Amino acid sequence: MVAPDFSPDRFAGWHMVNTLLQSRSGLQLHLLTPSSAQEQADLLRHDKADLIYANPFDAAHLIRDLGFRAFARPVGKPDEMVIATAAASPLRCLEDLRPGSRIAVTDNRDVKLIGLRLLEAADLTDKDLQWVLVETFQAGARLTIKGEVDAGFFLAEIYHSLSRITRSQLKVLIESAIFDITHVLLAHQRIVGEIPAIMTALSGIGQRSADHEVLEALGIPGGFEKMNDEEAEFMVDLMDTLLD
Amino acid sequence: MHLPDMQYPPPPGGACECRLTYHDGTRRLVYCVDREEPFPDGRLIVSRTNLAGIITHANEAFVTMSGYTIEELIGAPHHILRHPEMPKAAFADLWTTIASGKKWHGYVKNLRKDGLFYWVYATVIPNVRGGVVVSYTSVRRKPSRRKINEMSDLYSKMLSQERAAQ
Repeated sequence: MVAPDFSPDRFAGWHMVNTLLQSRSGLQLHLLTPSSAQEQADLLRHDKADLIYANPFDAAHLIRDLGFRAFARPVGKPDEMVIATAAASPLRCLEDLRPGSRIAVTDNRDVKLIGLRLLEAADLTDKDLQWVLVETFQAGARLTIKGEVDAGFFLAEIYHSLSRITRSQLKVLIESAIFDITHVLLAHQRIVGEIPAIMTALSGIGQRSADHEVLEALGIPGGFEKMNDEEAEFMVDLMDTLLD
Repeated sequence: MHLPDMQYPPPPGGACECRLTYHDGTRRLVYCVDREEPFPDGRLIVSRTNLAGIITHANEAFVTMSGYTIEELIGAPHHILRHPEMPKAAFADLWTTIASGKKWHGYVKNLRKDGLFYWVYATVIPNVRGGVVVSYTSVRRKPSRRKINEMSDLYSKMLSQERAAQ
C-alpha cells in the first residue's frame, strides 16, 4: 500500500516498481493506492496491507502501536512542506499571516503538523486559523491563486511538481528544511521473514540501466536504502516532539 | 565533565564575562555578546544525548547555530550552550521532567561559541527502547518574537530571585 500523498504523475512509477519487485523477489504483490488518508485508514482497519510506504506521521502509529517493522527509506528525499500565498497577495512573509487567516489544507497530517510548527514563529496556532479542507494539493493551489484563502499548505514535492504557470501565480512564504523526516517502507509482522528478499530486490532497483527510468518515474532517483529499527525509532521520536 | 574556558577575545566594551557553575559542580568562563543570531527559517535543531547529558548526535542546523564544529559537540555536555541569562530553575525543571519519563517543553536562550545568543523553543523527550529510557532527543524550533520578549522578562526576574537567594 502506498500512502496517498504522492503526485498523480508518480502513479505509473509505483506500478513499475511493483512489477519489478514481484519479478525480482518472487513474491506476489498487489498494489493498493488509497486516494485519501481516510481510505488508507479503512484499509488498515481491515488489515489489508502487508507492506506500506508510509508517511512519517502514520509511521509512528504503525510502528509503535501496530508493530510494523521499518526496513527501507528513499535516498535523499526528505518530507518537506511549503506554505504559499498568491503571487499578488500583500503577504510577504510568514509573520504577515494574522489570526483568522484562511488556510487551504489537505488531509495530509504530516504537512499540517509541520506547517503548524513553522507558524509558531508567527505566533499562530491551530485555533487561530480558519482551515479550508481540500481534496488535493492542486485544489489548494487553485483556491490560493484565486484569493479564496490567504495561504495554502503543500507537500514540497508536490508544490515543486505543479506546472510552471501555476507556480508563477504563487509565492512561497516558507519552505521547511528539516531533512530528518522521510517516508518509510514498513512490513507487517506476518511477513517479516520476507524482508530480506524484498530489500534485496528493492535496493537492486537502480543497478540496471533500465531501472533509472523507473526511479525517475517514481520521483526517487536515488532509490531506496536500508533503515534499521533504531533509525526508525529516532524518526518517530522526532515526530513525537512535533506533536505539541 | 569539565569544559575549557571560552577562548573568545572579548571586543572592547562589547562583551560581558561570566563564570558559570554547572549542575555537576564544574565551572567555565564564558563571554557573552548582546547580539542575537536569528533562528533559520524552516529548520529544526536536533540533537540527542545520553542519560548524562553528553551529546551523541547533532544535526547540521545544530552545528551551524551553535558555532561549534561537530567534533567539538559530540562528547561534550549539552550545557556547553548554557547562557548566563538562563535561570537554573528552568534546567532543573527540564531534568526533573525527563527523568520521570515525560516530555519537556520550554524556551531557552542559548550561548554560541562566538558569544552571540539564539532563542529556541525546545522539546526534549526520553527515548524509550524496550520499556527503558536509553537517551534523550531534543528538537528546537523557531519561537515567536512575542514569546521571546515574554520569556526574557520572566527569566530575568527568576535570575534576580536566584541571585538574591544565594
